[in-house]
Amino acid sequence: MKFELPNLFKNSNRKQIMFEVEDELQFHIEMLERKYVQDGMSAAAARAAALRRFGSIERAMKRCVNIRSRNSLLRRILKKSLILLGIAGFFIRIISSDRHVDHIGDIFILIAIFGRLLLYVRGLSPSNFLSATNETCPSIVTESPQDSSKLRGA
Amino acid sequence: MQGTLELLILNTLARESMHGYGIVQRIHEAAEDLLKVEDGSLYPALYRMEERGWIKSEWGVSEHNRRARFYKLTRKGQKQLEAERANWNRISSAVTKILQAT
Repeated sequence: MKFELPNLFKNSNRKQIMFEVEDELQFHIEMLERKYVQDGMSAAAARAAALRRFGSIERAMKRCVNIRSRNSLLRRILKKSLILLGIAGFFIRIISSDRHVDHIGDIFILIAIFGRLLLYVRGLSPSNFLSATNETCPSIVTESPQDSSKLRGA
Repeated sequence: MQGTLELLILNTLARESMHGYGIVQRIHEAAEDLLKVEDGSLYPALYRMEERGWIKSEWGVSEHNRRARFYKLTRKGQKQLEAERANWNRISSAVTKILQAT
């Protein structure tokens, strides 16, 4: 039981993140559907058009959950604690004149540095780099508005 | 160009806090439908920007009485917007000069 608690917390936290991301994406699709229905589409056609325009929900959700998970409350607390530990170690090194106490300061600084490195490495995944390629770039509509209105009229 | 979506989001949120759908709609309206932002790609970008501290989100109620997450610009985001704007102006004027010279 002792070893299962962190996993339990991690899983429930991830489930909560998944629920919130799903709710947010669902809201977006609902708004699109509403817009298309107002434009005169049937409910089924509006749903299909909304899903088409949104793109892959699964992919968006997976990326969002990954980003949110690496920025979770537990992780942020851990990051701040490590910074505080490093600062404490640094002050111990400055203030203390005892060699043994100095070593405690060194240990604090080392734990802070390695802890931050570990958190950084754990946060890395290929998707973080792949997602930054096309997502941040909106595409330019190649057909002019006149062309598209002609198409709609046809 | 990479990073353009972030610039557009920051610029949109500089006026008021908005939910994701509102952000996309505002971008499409402002660009007169000449720029296309894939709706699904907006959210990973928003989450990354929040992770960097440029924007902040909180749950609220939408205009249709539905729970929605609203995003707003932070002070760090405001600074980032100014930097990205300056960068964009530099690049676009450089490209214009090159096109005029050739």
